[in-house]
Amino acid sequence: MWQLDSSTLITVLTILASSIGIILGCILPALMEGKAVQKALDGITRQPDAANDIRTTLLISMALLESTAIYVLLVILVLLFANPLLDRFFG
Amino acid sequence: MEAVTPQVVFYLFGLPITDTVVSTWVLMVILVVVAFFIRRFKPNAAEMILESINSIISSVMPENANLNTYLPFLGALAIFLVFANIFSIFPLMVSPTANLNTTFALSAVVFFAVHVFGIKRKGLWNYIKNFSDPIFIFPFEIISQLSRTLSLTLRLFGNILSTDLIVAIVFALVPFLIPLPFAALGMLTGVLQAYIFTILASLYIASAIEVEQTEQERRRLKAELQQSS
Repeated sequence: MWQLDSSTLITVLTILASSIGIILGCILPALMEGKAVQKALDGITRQPDAANDIRTTLLISMALLESTAIYVLLVILVLLFANPLLDRFFG
Repeated sequence: MEAVTPQVVFYLFGLPITDTVVSTWVLMVILVVVAFFIRRFKPNAAEMILESINSIISSVMPENANLNTYLPFLGALAIFLVFANIFSIFPLMVSPTANLNTTFALSAVVFFAVHVFGIKRKGLWNYIKNFSDPIFIFPFEIISQLSRTLSLTLRLFGNILSTDLIVAIVFALVPFLIPLPFAALGMLTGVLQAYIFTILASLYIASAIEVEQTEQERRRLKAELQQSS
C-alpha cells in the first residue's frame, strides 16, 4: 500500500476516513434519537392529554439531533466530491 | 462533483445562472399564480391548509403577541419551503433548497427578521440589555445567534441534498418503480424539514419578542397554578 503515489494514497485514506465517519455518524445519532422517541412515547402513554405538546417538542429535538448526522454527511460529501487536500497538493 | 454543485445553465449579463435559480423562478411564478387564483376564488381546501399553518405557528408564539405581525413572514416561509423541498419530483426541475446559497439566504432572512422584530417590540436599548444580562454572557449570545443560523442553513441543505442524492443513486441503479419509495421518503422529509424550519424560525422570533415577566407576576402565576391543581 505504501508504494502508491501520494495522490492515490490521499484518495484511499479519504475513502477509508469517510466510510468510518459515516458509520459512526449514522449509528450514534440513530441510537440517541431512538432513546428520545422511547422517552416521548412513554410520556404520551402516561399522559395522552399532553400528546400534542410532546409531539412538537419531539419533532424539534429530533431535528436538532438529526443535524449532527447531517454535519457528518456534509463533511464526507466535501471530502469525497470536493477534496481540498487533493486540490491543494495536486491541483 | 456534478451531483453536489449546481449546474450553470446560462449567463445573464456575465452572471452565471444555475439550475436551482431557474427552478426558484419557476416556483415563484407558480406560487404567485396560485396565490392569485386562491384570492380570487377562495377554495375551502386552501383555507383549511392556511388555518393549519396558522395554528402551528400560533402554538409556539407567546400568547400576548400580535400574531398578524409575524404571520405573513412565517407563513410565506412555510409555503415556499414546502414546495421548494419537494420540487425535485417534477421533471427537469431540481429542489431550490438543495443549493447552499438558497438555504443560507433563507436563514439570513430569519436572522435579520428575529432582530428586527425584537427591536421593534422592545426598543433597541432594552433588546441589547436583554442580551447581556450579566455582561459576560454577551459574547456567548453572539456566538449562539451565529451558530444557530449556520445550523439552520446546514440542516435544511443537508437533508434535501441527501434525499435527492439517494433518489438519484437508486435511479441510476434501477430506473423503474424502485426509486418511487425513496422519492416518497424524500417528500416526507421535505415537508417535515419545512415544518421544522418554520417552527424553529417562530421559536427564535418568540424568544426575541418575549417580554420578561417580573418576579412577582411569576410568583402569582405559580400560586394560582397550585390553587387550581
